[in-house]
Amino acid sequence: MITASGITKTYGSTRAVDDLSFEVQAGVVTGFLGPNGSGKSTTMRMVMGLDRPDSGVVTIDGKRFGDLRWPLREVGALLEAKALHPGRSAYNHLLALAQTNSIPKARVDQVLELVGLEAVAKRKVGKFSLGMSQRLGIASALLGDPGVLLFDEPINGLDPEGILWVRNLLKGLAGEGRTIFVSSHLMSEMALTATDLVVIGRGQLIADTTVEDFIASNTEATVLVRSPGADALGAALVEAGGRVAAGPDGGLLVTGLDATRIGDVAHAQGIALHELSPQQASLEEVFMDMTSDMVDYHGHSPLEVSS
Amino acid sequence: MTTATAPAHIAPFALDHGRAGLRNQVRSEWTKLRSVRSTWICLVIIVAAGIGLSALVTNIEAGRWAHLGFADRAQFDPVRMSQTGEFLSQFVVGVLGAMIVTSEYATGSIRTTLATTSRRTTVLSAKLLVIGTVIFLVSEVTAFASFFVGRAVLLAHGGKALPAGSSIVDQVRSATIPVVSITDNGALRAVFLCGVYLLLLTLIACGLGFILRHTAGAISAFVGILLVLPLIVNILPSSFSASFEKFLPSNLGLAMILVTSRKTDFAGILLTPWAAAGLLALYTVAVVVLAGWLLVRRDA
Repeated sequence: MITASGITKTYGSTRAVDDLSFEVQAGVVTGFLGPNGSGKSTTMRMVMGLDRPDSGVVTIDGKRFGDLRWPLREVGALLEAKALHPGRSAYNHLLALAQTNSIPKARVDQVLELVGLEAVAKRKVGKFSLGMSQRLGIASALLGDPGVLLFDEPINGLDPEGILWVRNLLKGLAGEGRTIFVSSHLMSEMALTATDLVVIGRGQLIADTTVEDFIASNTEATVLVRSPGADALGAALVEAGGRVAAGPDGGLLVTGLDATRIGDVAHAQGIALHELSPQQASLEEVFMDMTSDMVDYHGHSPLEVSS
Repeated sequence: MTTATAPAHIAPFALDHGRAGLRNQVRSEWTKLRSVRSTWICLVIIVAAGIGLSALVTNIEAGRWAHLGFADRAQFDPVRMSQTGEFLSQFVVGVLGAMIVTSEYATGSIRTTLATTSRRTTVLSAKLLVIGTVIFLVSEVTAFASFFVGRAVLLAHGGKALPAGSSIVDQVRSATIPVVSITDNGALRAVFLCGVYLLLLTLIACGLGFILRHTAGAISAFVGILLVLPLIVNILPSSFSASFEKFLPSNLGLAMILVTSRKTDFAGILLTPWAAAGLLALYTVAVVVLAGWLLVRRDA
């Protein structure tokens, strides 16, 4: 379990993390979401004892990083995939890491095989692709067989097969009862991988919940309705207390009324229905909605810029 | 590449017994040091420059003996000639000492390193111990090999040892090239301190790496201390500069390999060899303590 209590970190005049508190539970994959520059990496560095919070405390299974006797055996992290000496082989990189925590040599071969790099173990990592570096970073994190694992953007640079592999790996690790904390800006990926979510924007906590609840509590139920008598139905639905917007292909997007009620209204008015389907918002839509005012670096369409 | 979904476990480990300590970090640093090619290139340069320049410079000087004037003959110092390579090696050890730290800052792998221990000072200590030991051994072997190569060159030119108790006047009047034996007064100390000088410079460079965390910055600072600082001191009024010239690291190095009993032109201007070694060691301690203090305090 990772516990952050009121951690704050300021660099110069920038408050990177602002009074952030959350818990990452063992046994599930917890996604760490936030726009670029929202403080995800800073938070992870504070968990790993690399950056010191100005105030507040982060603990790993109840202990501060500074109190861990065998850090690699208790917490593993992939923070930057390319943080490697380019002239050193993958094997020697892992061997040097293993030696710091009295991890047997055989484990190096084991994790190399696990991430599928055994064939290139003796090759210099400077020649590795980003995807191969990510795999090596994951191998480093797993080296000490730790109960708590942090991954900062682990699927960057991976091919679809690699992404699927990481997804299954993370779920498998969580299934063994480990604490898995994965940051990503790819909401769709988190929706597939994570069970729990910690969402931050501008260093502040937006949500600490499950993926399911996050979507449910942050979207108003919307129902897509198609009908040959769309105009009349629309008027009747407004009268019944719903809000109606134009949907795709002449359909109606109705909020404020659930599907049952809409069906009843249509029946009472004698209007035929061709489609009546509740809409599920994606995690991505919810996230964009919630953090739109918290994104530090907005992109603009060319039209917006010129006007 | 693989379809494995969960890793096999390693043998159960008593997490509350012992801790990841200095011994662990030393092993790791040795693996890191030996597993990159630049280490071996630097060590080969130290050995080759030491022995090669000793043979070359001694050979040139020996060939000129018959034509040398009194002043030049008085300054003829076989030990110093044999250690000419040290001037080059001091920059090689500086680069190596700084790079083992700054290369980790450049790639960001210093964070991986620091996340392996809850005591950052063990990382500093292990780096100093490993690079210090390697450089010290290689430098001492090179210094002694250079000395004996230089001596062999002088003997080949017909050089002879001066009688015991000879003064600098006897050296100037000698018809044959004076040859120094390792057991002669001060020779052993001078050759030994040559390795000590390179060791201390290595540790200073390593400390500068932790302080500046940037390859170009650390190497510039190191070269600045050895080459630029003396130039600046030289510009100052001589009444002023004369009082602290002898405390410059480069002049401490010169003092350390001086066979003082030979009364060359440096005698009196420089500190005695052991005092020079002691002062350079103090500088080293100061740099290392500052490095450790910053390493513990700063964010990685």
